[in-house]
Amino acid sequence: MQRVGVIRDYALFGATAQMRYTEPVATLDADVLVAVASADRIDVLGGIYEFCAAKGYRPEGEAIRVGAWPTQFLPAFSPLTQEAMEQAEIADFEGVALRVVRADHLAVIALSVGRAKDLTRILALLESGSVSRDAIKSLAARHDLADAWQRFENRFLND
Amino acid sequence: MTDLEQMLKRQAQWQKSRQFLTWPEKIRLAERVRESVKQLRAQPRPIMAGPPER
Repeated sequence: MQRVGVIRDYALFGATAQMRYTEPVATLDADVLVAVASADRIDVLGGIYEFCAAKGYRPEGEAIRVGAWPTQFLPAFSPLTQEAMEQAEIADFEGVALRVVRADHLAVIALSVGRAKDLTRILALLESGSVSRDAIKSLAARHDLADAWQRFENRFLND
Repeated sequence: MTDLEQMLKRQAQWQKSRQFLTWPEKIRLAERVRESVKQLRAQPRPIMAGPPER
């Protein structure tokens, strides 16, 4: 998609990205942040759907089934997700190089969303040693999430 | 330590050891778990009894 100009950039995030660092977790789909080439379209993801349809990948709910995985494409919707996508790492997946969001960005995106499973993700990333409290604190502060991080620390990490 | 505590400790250790699998191995495991979850969700749920009337 990047090569033919449907998207400008992408990075895996969510549970599939988390699993680079933690033990496996149950998830129903794969999440991909994207920067679309034609962001002025009303259906921002239209180009992706058209490209996938031409390849035989069919919509499934809010996702598109790509191989074994229903895959949800989400436009990088905020400065945080945009930065996460731009600073993603390259990871090898069985010989294929994939862009994957870093652990600190995964944690702060989870903090910004704030559902129970997102808060669990932060704890799992911390426990795995892939990110430190200081790194999360600093990144959260840069994205106006200092208060959310303080509440998280008070609730889950401070005795 | 009781048998139950030992069992839970072993289970937690096993679970944590999964962290050190390769990323593709973990993704494949998650795929298998997902299929199981989908099958469980597809099964009709038993009708649960409501709370006792007072």
